[in-house]
Amino acid sequence: MATTFKTLLNNDVTSTRTLLHEAIPLTGTIVSGTYLDSDGAEENIKNYAHGMFQSVYDYPYLSSSANHIFDLTVGYSDTSPLSASAETQNAKKINIYNQMAQTLVGYNDSGEIREFDRDGDFSGGTKMDSVFFINFARLLTKDEIKKGTFQLTLNVSGAYDEPTHDLTLYDTNAQNGYRVNSPAGEYGILYINSGSNGTPENQTGAGLIYYQAGIAVITSSIWDHTNAEQYSRDLGHSFSPTTGSNYFGSRAAAPHNDIYENFYDSLTSGSISGSCNGIRNRIHNIQFNNTTELNSTIYFCRANHNEFNYSSNPTYVADSKIQVKQTSLDNPVSYITTVGLYSSDNELLAVAKLSEPLKKDPTNELTLRVRLDY
Amino acid sequence: MGFLDNSGDIILDAVLTDTGRMRLAKGDGSFKITKFAFGDDEINYNLYDKNHESGSAYYDIQILQSPVLEAFTNNASSMKSKLISIPRTNLLYLPVMKLQTNDNNYKKDQITSTGNYLVSVDDDSNDFDSSTKKLVAEDGVLNGVSGGGNSKIQVQQGLDTSDISSTFIIDPDLNETQFILEIDNRLGMISHGGTTAAVSFIDDDNLASYFLSSNPYVEISEGAGKDTAIDVLADTYSMAIAGPRGNVLEFQIKASLDLNSSTALFTKLGSTYLINGTSFYYIDTTVRVTGATTGYRLDIPVRFVKKV
Repeated sequence: MATTFKTLLNNDVTSTRTLLHEAIPLTGTIVSGTYLDSDGAEENIKNYAHGMFQSVYDYPYLSSSANHIFDLTVGYSDTSPLSASAETQNAKKINIYNQMAQTLVGYNDSGEIREFDRDGDFSGGTKMDSVFFINFARLLTKDEIKKGTFQLTLNVSGAYDEPTHDLTLYDTNAQNGYRVNSPAGEYGILYINSGSNGTPENQTGAGLIYYQAGIAVITSSIWDHTNAEQYSRDLGHSFSPTTGSNYFGSRAAAPHNDIYENFYDSLTSGSISGSCNGIRNRIHNIQFNNTTELNSTIYFCRANHNEFNYSSNPTYVADSKIQVKQTSLDNPVSYITTVGLYSSDNELLAVAKLSEPLKKDPTNELTLRVRLDY
Repeated sequence: MGFLDNSGDIILDAVLTDTGRMRLAKGDGSFKITKFAFGDDEINYNLYDKNHESGSAYYDIQILQSPVLEAFTNNASSMKSKLISIPRTNLLYLPVMKLQTNDNNYKKDQITSTGNYLVSVDDDSNDFDSSTKKLVAEDGVLNGVSGGGNSKIQVQQGLDTSDISSTFIIDPDLNETQFILEIDNRLGMISHGGTTAAVSFIDDDNLASYFLSSNPYVEISEGAGKDTAIDVLADTYSMAIAGPRGNVLEFQIKASLDLNSSTALFTKLGSTYLINGTSFYYIDTTVRVTGATTGYRLDIPVRFVKKV
């Protein structure tokens, strides 16, 4: 019986799971200062009428070529010393903090929203009651950020327009130690200047990185020049902004530059987008590896020696005579360029193409491995 | 689609077709791959040079250098010609399918000689001039209103060679017992004697598939009491096949309600032309016939016509 289809048996089909990683480098020049229009505004930064967050693109966002790379926002808890009804956008900053905390930290057993915890141990320790958030686009993080690869480098010294002294946050050794008590998945603690595999220089975390959510939460203390936990001073970076020193601001030209004496000043007297402008100007570099989880089904399409040696190609015969044979004793020959995968009712569900024709005759057997990724 | 890079290792570029994605999206379990087939769409076997002066290693050198296109996602655009499994290796001839257009009831368009079968879609078109001109009375015009009438399309299968006598019986394992017909479901349906056939399925591109394996669509070449294929067939029809004959497929086409009652598809997919000085809308399409056994394929040109 001549046939064109071959049934796939159980041992011809298998499924696998593969993790793919890509390196994602985000330099500070993309984040601030590159796309200034004639008015001095940054064309790759999108601000919204509601003023709750700011979106950063890799190109002027009105262009169809632009890709969304991350959102930036700030917030503080209503228990923070920064919280006061007279502060600019006070309610919105509290709302942002609570919304993010609801999603990333969850609730305590009384149903109250938990605050971000510096070491992930909710039973005690220091809380981060004023923070900024970097929400990475799914385009970059894909399924999740790879643990142990996240780095965020910030400028901590100098005036806003001449920032100096880098300070880098790492999720040190997170591939071997991460937290799982978040409703949003796994997260790691960001340490300062520790090196991705080294021992943290400062054992207190300065932020959290939520791998599946693709969100970095950084304490505002990172730029605090008065707090005892001022990280950069601990590490010997002397920045001592004084009143009028213009420590925090944006490189955009006035009136878009939002200059503040320090970060806390921007959190209290500035708008959310004003703080975000200053944060962007202090970001020197971000890099991480993303992860794509590929679930694959592999179909082994096996052609035995006595199968698929003839063709229904109209050029295969001339006056019904097989073109590749001179006598009936010659072996039939065919050439495979395509593999079609079919349903039981003969519908073509998937198709695979070989990069070059494969010769098939009764002297050989072939197994073509077709992998479909989901 | 571009060509696949054939400069290095052999790679396999696999995609889901649009039908595959549609079934996956349904989530009803209809996306289930149960079988496979191999195709050789890009291969031109005329390039196989059995007399190459450098020897047998060079017979297929041009075929092996054929560039291969990236995979199409349209399910109707791939796997046009499939490879066939036949355990025997000593075959020198393979059956083909041909249209029988010799008998009056099976001719193509005899009015404007377009090379198509004409299908009239409404009564006004059938009888477009009350004096003498009756379209359905012409050879090569199928009555798309009733899906019946005298005019039919006939496909004959067999070994089209004079090297083997037509008195031989085609090998049973090469004889088509089932034919797969595909037609654009927006335009028409497969019928016979005014009765439409049961459609097997309609894909995402509105392509309807019919699996036909019994009377009145498929006529078995070896009838009861007959000795050979030629006895039963040649007594009845003119033969398009020169050598041993297989089974015969015969069908008609019934126009869709859309074509019968509206000109929307004609203006969108077709144009107008003149038949005996009268203007007609038309849509050109093909009805594809594939042998379920050998995978041999025949594209039949069909023109739906409607009087303007």
